[in-house]
Amino acid sequence: MSDNILEIRDLTVAFRTEQGPVEILQGVSFDVKAGEIVSVVGESGSGKSVTSLAIMRLITDPNAMISGTIRYKGRNLPGLSAREMRKLRGREIAMIFQDPMTALTPVHTIGWQIAEQLRIHFGVGAKAARTRSVELLGKMGIPDPERAYGCFPHQLSGGMRQRAMIAMAISCDPAILIADEPTTALDVTVQAQILDLLQDLRREYGSSIILITHDMGVVSTIADRVLVMYSGRIIENGAKSDLLDKPQHPYTLGLMRSIPPMTGERPHRLPSISGSPPLPGNRPEGCSFRPRCEFSFSKCNAAPPLFRCNEQFAACFLAENGSHQWQRNSAQERTGE
Amino acid sequence: MLLAVVRRAFDMVFVMFGISVIAFLIFFATPGSDPSARIAGRNATPEMLAQVRASFGFDRPLYVQYGRLMQRLFIARDLTSFVNRGQKVVPAVLQATPVTLSLVFGAAVIWLTAGIGLGIVATIFRGTVIDKGLMLLALCGVSMPVFWFGSVMNLITQSRFHDTWLFSWVPGLGYTSFFESPSLWFKTLVVPWFTLSVLFIGLYARVLRASLSENYQEDYVRTARAKGLSESRIMLRHALRTSLITLLSMFGLDFGALVGGGAILTEVVFNLPGIGRLTYQALQNLDLPFIMATVMYSTFFVVLANALVDVAHAWLDPRVRDAR
Amino acid sequence: MSTPLLRATDVSKSFPIGGYFQKGGRRKVRILNDVSLDVYEGETLGLVGESGSGKSTLGRTLLRLYDADSGKIEFDNLDISAKNRRELRPLRSKMQMIFQDPYSSLNPRRRIGDLIADPIRIHGQASERDIQVRLRELMDMVGLSHSFLTRYPHEFSGGQRQRIGIARAIALKPKFIVADEAVSALDVSVQAQVINLLMDLQDELGLTYLFIAHDLSVVRQISTRTAVMYLGGIVEIGTTDDVMHKPAHPYTAALISSVPSHDSTVSKSPRIKLQGDLPSPLTPPSGCRFHTRCPFATAKCAAEVPLPRDVGSGRMVACHFPIN
Repeated sequence: MSDNILEIRDLTVAFRTEQGPVEILQGVSFDVKAGEIVSVVGESGSGKSVTSLAIMRLITDPNAMISGTIRYKGRNLPGLSAREMRKLRGREIAMIFQDPMTALTPVHTIGWQIAEQLRIHFGVGAKAARTRSVELLGKMGIPDPERAYGCFPHQLSGGMRQRAMIAMAISCDPAILIADEPTTALDVTVQAQILDLLQDLRREYGSSIILITHDMGVVSTIADRVLVMYSGRIIENGAKSDLLDKPQHPYTLGLMRSIPPMTGERPHRLPSISGSPPLPGNRPEGCSFRPRCEFSFSKCNAAPPLFRCNEQFAACFLAENGSHQWQRNSAQERTGE
Repeated sequence: MLLAVVRRAFDMVFVMFGISVIAFLIFFATPGSDPSARIAGRNATPEMLAQVRASFGFDRPLYVQYGRLMQRLFIARDLTSFVNRGQKVVPAVLQATPVTLSLVFGAAVIWLTAGIGLGIVATIFRGTVIDKGLMLLALCGVSMPVFWFGSVMNLITQSRFHDTWLFSWVPGLGYTSFFESPSLWFKTLVVPWFTLSVLFIGLYARVLRASLSENYQEDYVRTARAKGLSESRIMLRHALRTSLITLLSMFGLDFGALVGGGAILTEVVFNLPGIGRLTYQALQNLDLPFIMATVMYSTFFVVLANALVDVAHAWLDPRVRDAR
Repeated sequence: MSTPLLRATDVSKSFPIGGYFQKGGRRKVRILNDVSLDVYEGETLGLVGESGSGKSTLGRTLLRLYDADSGKIEFDNLDISAKNRRELRPLRSKMQMIFQDPYSSLNPRRRIGDLIADPIRIHGQASERDIQVRLRELMDMVGLSHSFLTRYPHEFSGGQRQRIGIARAIALKPKFIVADEAVSALDVSVQAQVINLLMDLQDELGLTYLFIAHDLSVVRQISTRTAVMYLGGIVEIGTTDDVMHKPAHPYTAALISSVPSHDSTVSKSPRIKLQGDLPSPLTPPSGCRFHTRCPFATAKCAAEVPLPRDVGSGRMVACHFPIN
């Protein structure tokens, strides 16, 4: 497919430890189309943040071993020289982080930091960079952008900081914006504003967005396509509406059921997934979700590949023969015991 | 702002008062240190003792003595030594000041340059042999006692290798004013500068290395990389800029303490007639007026340095600026 | 309903901020502003609000971990706001707290068994034998293996640590527990387990909870009644179903409409967008504190402070124009 702007194949990240190599990511593959919002969901330790850092080649730990291909517009990123990669970062692929308080340098003004990026990539003069930065801050919906330009990160509210961070990220009009938990540190009313902003950006600039989050609500608000990660693998991949309506992997189902609903009857007990995710160095044989899965059977002792069911993919032997419907009620009763 | 300055000045007066009282009381409370007995000499008759006591005012109540001392030190400025009668204290201190300033200023330039340089190099090569080697060297610098290192330097440059081409330029111990002969001033001070700075180079390099590698764990360094900045820019404009705050605070306090007489060992070893050596002599003779003068002088600089560090800290760190 | 287990009347709390150098010197920022609240025996009162609303401060003030500036707090028909530290000690065992991050609230150098036994040892005269029996009982209650008692906090996952925190909180058989963002740091699958555990323990032990959280869906799941805070005051309080499904205060409505739903089958009510940021508690708006951001504000809202009034079935709303 030619409209894929980013193609990731078999991305594996392992760290050398005293007990031997520990694989944080185990062969992650996915594509991002131009103008698409892809959401990577998973719990802490699932490898979603490592995926984004690996794309940007920001894993600096000398003990990290990274393999696989990451093709951006046909160029394999791991094969680029450090210099070429630097030209790409911030210019072609930009990134925003969870906590804009710690992600911005505390001793420089917001404006200086945005202008710095413009000057590095476009070589524009100080004055032009300033004008453009103020303009960007204004576009992000920051009132009085002139004043905000001269503010230090701690002088702005969390929401305004994240807007400034986004202004910096899109300053060079990148083709891909990676947003790593961009709203986790924010209050819900502010979160809603930031999600609006991200959608506006996609409309206006047509940039693809890779949104990393643990919040299914955020996913359902903004994503076009969803990747669910569990213990270093993508276990389900599909269009948002398909995946949220008809999850094919028991983990996705369990994850969605364990979120307390905002409407309708309140369940007497929340259906929960028993146990906790395995540590990367201590994964069970076969499917790593097997010990926690209420549907596991003999086949699960082997690691499941991604099976296709309609337009969706799920790494579960239940999906081997195509799409299937959960018996919602009976399953719910079972977990509700 | 004016209010802050006034408040600081008040703090300073208060601290100086407190320290002067403590120094004064220690002097009188030290067992076997009856000042009149010391001044009168070993075989003094009781009459002589009484005479000395009366002429120095030791028969007056302590607070009167303290008041007179302070009055003569700060207002009349005609305080004289107990030991060498007639030697005025204030001019002696003023004379010693440029010596100490020359020593400390030169050493500071060396230790800042070398300390920051080593810290940066070690951080860039962190985890490698270069890093470990440099940090070990820095630890050696920190651990060497100045009096020992100074003596060794003297031994090398003044006697053992003095006649070789390497150190023949080193003049004899002592001090020459900058205005008399700049070249000789420089030559006499090179070895003391180096000696004094070695400790601080080690200290600053280690502190900077620790602070920089901490900064490299921070999110904003990751952001800087994600922006596409070069490693040198990340180091200088982001990581180092933040670490300088710590370093500058440290520098201010060290500098203040050294100007205030903290370079005492270096000055004694290299026979430099600075404040440190003056203090050393005064302490040897239990010469109260001199002790008082040098202690006051030293307190002044330490408190001043503290105040300047606070101002500089606020100037460098916007978070501190706003927290006030 | 019965008499409240805990009743707070017009509780206010300020914290000093700023230092000597700030313009205007030291100031006080009012975090709680005449808060009145009843918590009934056996219920779970959910306390929601955004960061800076004062919900954590309220929780701590109710437990007398902070001293209120004014107002009255009654627990079990005893006025605890006037009691001193010593008189409070026997009451402390009746009121406990569960924190957001169990890791930072557990001493990393001590074994789990000792951490849980501490409150029993401090408060009771139980024999060591009884304590060991009680420890096993507690571990069963929170669903942890007995073998964990001899391990250290770092060996556990977030969910397990929160269970340990809960075991410690219920060790003294308290009546009232303040859970401050107790499940916020946990992943959803684990969060559901801990919510279930808290609800089970409530049934078993007849506990009363004040459940502080920013996550509305969690509060909806666990709470009988819900209170909504904004900028130091409670704007709405009522049964959870009323507050969540028929919000009367515009702020509550805005808050609830901002929660993104993960369930695409449910049609969402249109979002009420708030203007601007949360005002600083240093300079709170006049009249209704929400009027600067309220889509329905009128001149009256800027002028008059809306007093909480009963809009039926025990629901209190502090708004001049509540939504019907």
